[in-house]
Amino acid sequence: MFARELAIVLRARVTWLQAALSALLVGHGFVLAIDVYSAGSRSAATQRLMAGEFDPLLGIVRPTLGGLYLALSLLGPLVAARALSIEKERRTFGALLLQIGAPLRLVLTKTGAALAGAALQLVAPMLLLVAWWTVGGHLGAVETAVAFVAYLLYLALVTSIGMAAAAWTETFAQAATVAILVVTASWAIDASEGFAALAWLGRALDWSVTTHLTPMERGTLLLGACLWMASVTAGALALAWVGVRIDLDRPRRIAALVLVLLVTGTASALAHRGRRGFDLTEDRRASLPGGVEEALRALPGRLAVEVYLDRDDARRRQLESDTVAKLRLARPDLDVIAPTDMRPEPAELDRDAGYGRVVVHAGGGTRETHSTSRREIVTLLFEAAGRPVPDWSQSEYPGYPFVVDGMQRTALVVIAYAAIPLTLMSAGWVLTRS
Amino acid sequence: MAAELVVDGLSVARAGRRVLSDVSFALRPGDVVAVVGPNGAGKTSLLQAIVGLVRAADGHVTFDGKVLRSLSHHSAVFSYMPDDAEPPGEATVHTVIAHAERFGRPPPHLAGELKERLGVGRLAAQRAGRLSRGEKRRVALFAALCTARPVVVLDEPLATFDPLQLLEVLPVLRERAAAGTALLLSVHQMSDAEKVASQILVLDGGAVVAFGALAALRARVDRSDASLEVVVLELLRGRERDVRA
Repeated sequence: MFARELAIVLRARVTWLQAALSALLVGHGFVLAIDVYSAGSRSAATQRLMAGEFDPLLGIVRPTLGGLYLALSLLGPLVAARALSIEKERRTFGALLLQIGAPLRLVLTKTGAALAGAALQLVAPMLLLVAWWTVGGHLGAVETAVAFVAYLLYLALVTSIGMAAAAWTETFAQAATVAILVVTASWAIDASEGFAALAWLGRALDWSVTTHLTPMERGTLLLGACLWMASVTAGALALAWVGVRIDLDRPRRIAALVLVLLVTGTASALAHRGRRGFDLTEDRRASLPGGVEEALRALPGRLAVEVYLDRDDARRRQLESDTVAKLRLARPDLDVIAPTDMRPEPAELDRDAGYGRVVVHAGGGTRETHSTSRREIVTLLFEAAGRPVPDWSQSEYPGYPFVVDGMQRTALVVIAYAAIPLTLMSAGWVLTRS
Repeated sequence: MAAELVVDGLSVARAGRRVLSDVSFALRPGDVVAVVGPNGAGKTSLLQAIVGLVRAADGHVTFDGKVLRSLSHHSAVFSYMPDDAEPPGEATVHTVIAHAERFGRPPPHLAGELKERLGVGRLAAQRAGRLSRGEKRRVALFAALCTARPVVVLDEPLATFDPLQLLEVLPVLRERAAAGTALLLSVHQMSDAEKVASQILVLDGGAVVAFGALAALRARVDRSDASLEVVVLELLRGRERDVRA
């Protein structure tokens, strides 16, 4: 059966068109990234202290994958939805369902084929990063692999949403529209950060894809993020399964739909509790110093950080992405409480003297600061617990400044803007005509 | 007693409108029942309701005494070819054939015979999307007939074939029936139905006008040598008169 489904996906023009368009987007992100990275690296050549700031994961891999995120979100659902919708439009869906007799098998096989088609989008970032490495740029294999694992999970999520949309609609156009709306709903949640009009969506940040992708793009494998994506993917596949059950009457289908939504919601909410993470970056640079981590793990009781900062306050974002992320790697049980989030309106409307405080609780003690500095907050945690601050020494990340110019740059630009997209288009042309 | 398909009081409503009302008939192994009637008579709705693709508002379908309720029940009994459905244009005929054999689980030699008789074997290397309409229909027919399932339901299977092609296709249908498969087909051309069907179900306005062998229908309109077309026209006129009265 897979051969049939794979043919439907891989011999469709839209599959190769989306791969080529994605390659262009990814290629553009890559070229911009190497230009910015090279410009900075030139300065680093004369100032050694700057070298440590040149991190290819953040400077090259992440911007390259940024294009992939956009392309997967907008184009991935098309490939996924078409795999099933085309059967409905050709009126073969019912006969196929009867022929196979197993709706789940139909959904899974179609999803597998759609995954293979949408996964063509991964070709461009992989080849571009190989090209970067070939011209002498540095890449940490494991941390880069973690970033790709995140995108594989996202690919599965987008594909399953496309499949669910196709299962509940009649035409490809309807399915594609619904799937893209669902996938991009995550963007609205992301927009709530720093946009007062959408502040009410801030509480839904746990439902944003970006919330789960970002740590992994930084080389940290988070169990909760993986579980969240897996549970939403499984939920979407279950929805697709209910959607193709044409033998169920409407009330039973609706009941099954509600049940799947409830179970998926619960499972993904529970997934957030899996806070355990693994720092797989080179030199463990996403973590606190080893001695500090050990000492933090040895602190008795629960640790908590109360943050009196608005969700859209840059200090809060910096605190969450750096200090809290690092503290959680050492102590997954760390509680972060933001009392300002409980207010119905943005806190800046009634900021008081207490605004900006960060209160830490550890071992029964409490300390307070207005700083969001990682070192300050960690120090206060130990002080609150009545423990000495451990040695802060950590092996320094050397950084990998690298300048790409001249012929090398030209070659990379040609690969990014022409070679990969055109190769994908040519492969598609050959396959769809053979 | 051989397994019998019984359609009992089947009614279907679409968008609040009743498109089938209280349709009942039975189909035994080896029967070829042709459903005929004017456009909008409910032929396709009837076939879809029987195979379980459309939910019945009333009535039920039983096979071998068991009511068919779920998709797995229907899947075990029916092989179905929808009206104007085409094999996936992206796949090769070989892939479509292999898929049909995999899920149809036909008895030994059937696939080979059908490939030969329907002429699809020689198309194996071609993409289904590049075939002519008639060739596509042959491939779709192969996929429906290449099965061990006891009832094959074909919606307008003969519409795209020219008279010469029909000379090849009709014997295949008769042979499948002779081998014990029950065939239920909707047919637009009365002359085609006459050539292949052992029983005729005349449908109009979603209701059964008549059901039986051609001889019985001729007797009913008192035209012993009339063609099926004439018989059906007589039956439909008679029904119209009844409705007016």
